[in-house]
Amino acid sequence: MSSHALRRIILVGLMIVIALILTAINPVFLTVGNLNKMFQEAAQIGIVAIGFTLVMITAGIDMSIGGIIALTAMVAVNFISFTKIPVILFVPVTLLVGALAGYFNGLFITRYKLPAFIVTLATKGILAGLALVVAVKDTQGFVQNVYIQDAVYLWFGGASFGGVFRTTIAFLLLGAGTQYFLKNTKTGTNIYASGANPVAANLTGINVDRTTLGVYVFAGMCASVAAIFISSRMMTAMPELGLGTEMDVIASVVIGGTSFSGGSGDIWGTMLGSVFLALIKNGILKLGMSPWIQPIVIGGIIVVTVIIDVWQKKIAESIATRAKLRRLDAAACEDAA
Amino acid sequence: MANTTTKDDVLLDCRKITKSYNGPIVLDQVDFSVRRGEVHALVGENGAGKSTLIKIVTGVASRNSGEMTFNGKELPFDLSRKQAQALGIACIYQELSLIPGMTVAQNIFLGKEPLRKGLRFIDRKMMNSMAQELITKYQFPLNPTDLIDDISIAQRQLVEILKALSDQAHMMIMDEPTSSLTKTEVEMLFRIIHTLKEEGISVVYISHRMEEVYALSDRVTVLRDGKLVSVLDKEQISPAEIIRLMIGHKLEENAVHHKLGKVEGKVVLSVQNLTSVGKFQNVCFELHEGEILGIGGLVGSGRTELVRALYGIDPVDEGTITYLDKPYVPSVPNAIKSGIGFIPEERRLQGILATQSIIKNIGITNLDKVAPRAIVSNKAEKEYADRGIKLLNVRPPVPEHLVGNLSGGNQQKVVLAKWLVRDLKLIFIDEPTVGIDIGAKEEIYDHIRKLASEGVSVILVSSDLPELTRLSHRVIVLRRGRIFTQFSDCVLTSEKILRAASGILEEQTENRVGA
Repeated sequence: MSSHALRRIILVGLMIVIALILTAINPVFLTVGNLNKMFQEAAQIGIVAIGFTLVMITAGIDMSIGGIIALTAMVAVNFISFTKIPVILFVPVTLLVGALAGYFNGLFITRYKLPAFIVTLATKGILAGLALVVAVKDTQGFVQNVYIQDAVYLWFGGASFGGVFRTTIAFLLLGAGTQYFLKNTKTGTNIYASGANPVAANLTGINVDRTTLGVYVFAGMCASVAAIFISSRMMTAMPELGLGTEMDVIASVVIGGTSFSGGSGDIWGTMLGSVFLALIKNGILKLGMSPWIQPIVIGGIIVVTVIIDVWQKKIAESIATRAKLRRLDAAACEDAA
Repeated sequence: MANTTTKDDVLLDCRKITKSYNGPIVLDQVDFSVRRGEVHALVGENGAGKSTLIKIVTGVASRNSGEMTFNGKELPFDLSRKQAQALGIACIYQELSLIPGMTVAQNIFLGKEPLRKGLRFIDRKMMNSMAQELITKYQFPLNPTDLIDDISIAQRQLVEILKALSDQAHMMIMDEPTSSLTKTEVEMLFRIIHTLKEEGISVVYISHRMEEVYALSDRVTVLRDGKLVSVLDKEQISPAEIIRLMIGHKLEENAVHHKLGKVEGKVVLSVQNLTSVGKFQNVCFELHEGEILGIGGLVGSGRTELVRALYGIDPVDEGTITYLDKPYVPSVPNAIKSGIGFIPEERRLQGILATQSIIKNIGITNLDKVAPRAIVSNKAEKEYADRGIKLLNVRPPVPEHLVGNLSGGNQQKVVLAKWLVRDLKLIFIDEPTVGIDIGAKEEIYDHIRKLASEGVSVILVSSDLPELTRLSHRVIVLRRGRIFTQFSDCVLTSEKILRAASGILEEQTENRVGA
C-alpha cells in the first residue's frame, strides 16, 4: 500500500510542478476562470471515469461509454425539441438510457460469460447507431444540431458561486460518495473481491454475477449523468457527442492507479487522474500548441503509466521474494533448534 | 431422544451417492460417513472421485442420486454452497481462495462483515477486534490488519481456517493442505488439526502424502474408480495397505532408504561459479553422461531459478558453463538446437497448451523437425505425436485429444513426450510428479530412468524427497541460493536431504562443499 501512497504523492507533486511551469510561461493559466474551466473539463471526464473505475476493479472494461453518452444526449434533445415535459421529469428517464445499456452489458457478460471488451464494443456500435436514428432531423433527413434553450436544462452546465461549475461540484460529490461506498459497504467489498478472485468470491457466497451486473449499470448511469452535463454546457448536442471519450476515461483511471487486472484501485486516484489529464490538455492549449496533439499525448501517457505499473509490480515482487527468503531462513533456524 | 450413541456420533452420512457428468459415471453408489470430532482421510488416485464427492458435500456440484444427512438434517439435491456453509460445512481449498489486496480480517469476514447500526456501513474496528479474538483463541501467528499479499502460504492457510471457524463450522474439509508448506509449517498445521478435533470439529483430510494420512487420521475412506473400496479404522491404517487399496495391486514397498548409484563417464555439463544476484550464488557442479543429478532444497532456495537460468529463460550475472566441452551461453533456441530439454515446474501454466491437441502440443516443441521450411507438415506432426503417445503410453492414445482434458499424469506424459521424440542429450526436469497419482508417477519414474540408461543426462528438481532419493545418482542440496552439500556414493534418506535443506549438517555428511 505504501508504494501506492508514494505514487499518489508523486502524481500530485508532478501536477504542482506542471502547474508552476505553465504559470511561468503563460500567467493566464493561474486565473480563477481558467482553473474553473480546467476542473470543469476534468469533471466531465471524471464523472464517467468514476463508474469506469468500479468496472475496472471487477477486472472488466466498458468500451460502450461513448455510445451511452451519445444516445443519452440525443434522447434529452428529443425531449426538449418535441415535448413540453419539464426537465426535472425527463432527466431521470435519460439516466435510464445508461442504466439499461449497462444492464445489457452486464447481462451478456455474466449470463453468457462473454468477454467484456467484445460485448461493450458491440453495444457501443449499437448505441452510436441508435443515437443517429433518434437524432433530430431536418426535412431532408439530415441530422440537425439542436440548440438547447431550456433554462432549467442549461442550469446543469452553468457555474455557481465563485464561478465553480456545477459539473465540478457534482463530480466531487459523486466521487466522495462512491469512494465511501466502495470502502465501507458490503457491496463495495464484494466489488473488490469479485475482481481480485472471482472464484474465491463465489465460494465465499458472494454473488459475483450480480455484483458485476450492478457495476455495469452504475458505469452506464455515470456516463448518462456526464452526457447531461456535457450537452448542457455545450448548449447543443450531436449524435457524435462523447464518442471516443473512452480514451480519456481509461487514461484517467489508469493514471489513478487502478489496475487492468482488477481487485485494486480507488476513486480518489481516478479523480486525481482526471484532473491530471485536464491539466495536460489545458497546458497544451496554454502553451499555444495544436489541440490535435492531445490524443497523441494522452495515448503516450497511458503507455507510460502502464509501464510504471509493471515496474512497480516488479519491485514489489522482488521485495516479496527477499522477504520470503528471510522467512525461510528463519524457519530453517527453527528447524535447527 | 433415544438415539444410540453410535448413531449420534455420525455428523455426515452419505449413502449410495451417484454422480455422472453427461455419461461417464464419476461416483458409483458411494457411502461416506464422518463422525463428530474425527480426522477422516479421503484417499484415492486422481480420478477416483474424491474431489467430486467433496464438491457434492460442499454444494458446489449436485448428486444424481443417493441420500445425504448432515448433523441429523437431510441435505437437498440442490444444496447450494451457501446452504452448506450455513450448516457448518467448510472447505479449505487446494488453490487458496483468499482475496489479495485485502487484510486478514477482511478475508475472515468476507461476505459476513459486521455492520454498523443505521446506514449499515461496515464496522471496521469491530471486524478487526473480532478477528483478533479468533486469532488469540487459537494462538495463530497472524495480525488482523496485515495484507494477504504480505503473509506466507502457511499463514494464508490459517486465515482460511479462521474463515471457516468464524462460520461455526462443524466439519472442515482440507484438500491437499500441505502441498506447499515447509516442514515446520506442516507441524503447525497438524497441531491445529488436533485442536480442532478437541473442539469436536470433524476434519476431512485429502492428501497424496501417505505419511500424513498415517500420522493424522482416525479413519480412512479409500475410493477407486468412483467406487468405495474400503473404510479403515485407526488400527488398520498403514501406508502400504492404503496404497494397495488405492491402486488395487501391491506395489513394491516405497523404498525410504536408497543407495545412490555412481555414474562415471564423459562430463556433459560443467558449471563454474554461476551467480544470479538474489537467486543463486557460486554454483559449481559437473554432470556426467547418463547421470540423474537431483537438486533438493526448500521452496525458494534457488532450485527452480537455477535450472531456468541454465536453460536460458532467465539471465545469469556471472559464471561459466561448459556444455559438451565447449563454452556455452544459455538461451532457449540454443538449448533446443543443442539437444537440451526442459520440463517446467507448473504443468498447466508453463508446460502445456491446454486448449490444443496432443499433436499440436508435441509439434510446437519440434517445429524445426515438423516445419523445416516454416510450413507445418501435418503428416510429420502426426508421426511425432503418434511416436510420443506410444513412447510414453499416453491414455487415451488419441492424438487429436485436447491436452487440457487429459488427467494430470497424462498431461505430464505429453510434456515429457514433447522432448523424448527428439534427440536429447540433457534434460532439466522440475517437479515432474506434483499432483499426479501413484500409478502415473511410477510410469514417469520409469521413463526418467530409461532416459538416463540411454545416456541422456538429467537434472531433476523436486520437493518430493523419496522421489529425489529413488531416482538420483547424486543429489545437490541448495540452501539460500548456494550449494549447501552434496550426496554421492552413499545411502541417502529423505531425512538427510531435509536436514541439509534446513541447514543442518550431520557429522558423517560427505563432500561438504565450501559455501
